[in-house]
Amino acid sequence: MMASGPLSLIAEITHRCPLHCVYCSNPLEMQARQRELPTETWKNLFASAAKLGILQLHLTGGEPLARADLAELITAARQSNLYTNLITSGVGLTEERLAALVTAGLDHIQLSFQDSQEEPANEIAGTRSHSLKIELAHHIKHQRIAFTMNLVVHRQNLDRLPEMITLAEELAADRLEIAHVQYYGWALRNREALLPSRPQWERSLEVITAARERLKGRMRVDFVGPDYYAKYPKPCMGGWGRSVILIDPAGRTLPCHAAGVIPGLAFDNIQDHDLRWIWEQSPAFRKFRGKDWMPEPCRSCDRRTQDFGGCRCQAMLLTGDAAATDPVCTLSPMHGIVEAIVSSAQQQPDWIYRIDPAPVA
Amino acid sequence: MSQLSAASRPRLRAGCRLSESTQQGDVLLIPEGILRLVGPGKKILERCDGVRNVSDIIRDLQAEFPTVDPVRIETEVNTFLDRLHQKGVLDIG
Repeated sequence: MMASGPLSLIAEITHRCPLHCVYCSNPLEMQARQRELPTETWKNLFASAAKLGILQLHLTGGEPLARADLAELITAARQSNLYTNLITSGVGLTEERLAALVTAGLDHIQLSFQDSQEEPANEIAGTRSHSLKIELAHHIKHQRIAFTMNLVVHRQNLDRLPEMITLAEELAADRLEIAHVQYYGWALRNREALLPSRPQWERSLEVITAARERLKGRMRVDFVGPDYYAKYPKPCMGGWGRSVILIDPAGRTLPCHAAGVIPGLAFDNIQDHDLRWIWEQSPAFRKFRGKDWMPEPCRSCDRRTQDFGGCRCQAMLLTGDAAATDPVCTLSPMHGIVEAIVSSAQQQPDWIYRIDPAPVA
Repeated sequence: MSQLSAASRPRLRAGCRLSESTQQGDVLLIPEGILRLVGPGKKILERCDGVRNVSDIIRDLQAEFPTVDPVRIETEVNTFLDRLHQKGVLDIG
């Protein structure tokens, strides 16, 4: 199948991070600082991305603030006319540095919160960061920039959802993104403590629906559910190799954050090929593009052009076969796997924390 | 919530901006989204400067397109701005 053009570039500019979140979405094997792409390579990449038709750049990590050249990267992205979004924990962002990033041309900042309350937030992050984020949110409101407050929710904090929405209103976020933990990377290791119960999940839907209605026109409320409770799978990344390219700190190009879990895929490096070749020709991007790879029941399903068979990484992690129908789909012959996980979710967490990428020996 | 009215003076919120793309045509770039602008969308948004109110914008476009039914222009502007306001893309002053 021929590729249509990508619209978004996710640039994981570093895997370094001061936080140790129990649900970290970075791959289990992270790229060390010594392997990070230099400034010039990223700048050239942004220009190539714009030529390929990409409109939005998401600077993420790890913690992107760990790169001292962040303002320079933002300037280059805006010179290529990319809409520039910074996804950050905010740790290490002073009022002065924020102003410099905005001057460089930053359009949107997405500040992650772990909870509405200090103590559980710090427990999840494995570090003291909650009060810094609150202070930073006030600085953000003094800048002409879009402000998204991102709250990651799960079994241990979902009952505080109304309080989280109140906090977002107090901080005057333009957009609130409530995102359930997705079970990849480090989160998969802590899944039993993170997966909400079904009654909890149903209550949260009611809270979200009411908040959306009340806040219409004032604050956009986006909600990402735990797909283990979904009837049909999520259209992961808008379809494999359909609109998004992710580049990791060392320049490997991936169709999504978690694609490294799929055995047999080789991720071409931006230092060896140009971006257009990668998008159009790289075997990893072609592997699950379109519908030729699909098994039944996807292949003949009316929803195949809406959810694209769901998530390949989830199929891999749960069934051992990346080309299987996403087992969260109630039509999947393997859906019993997900039902079993949901019914065995435990009550008390026993977190497994992650540590920073090991230096190269 | 405040409603959009004829006296509202809309302008794009911070972090929402017009752009062009060779593949997509005119687009409005917003946080985590791309809205493709078809028909008069771009012309309406270019007039959302926080100075002109909705009535001014309608009058402007009616003057620029004298052969188009003025009632249709009014309806299209109101519908378009209302939809964008619901998406949280406009300050309505």
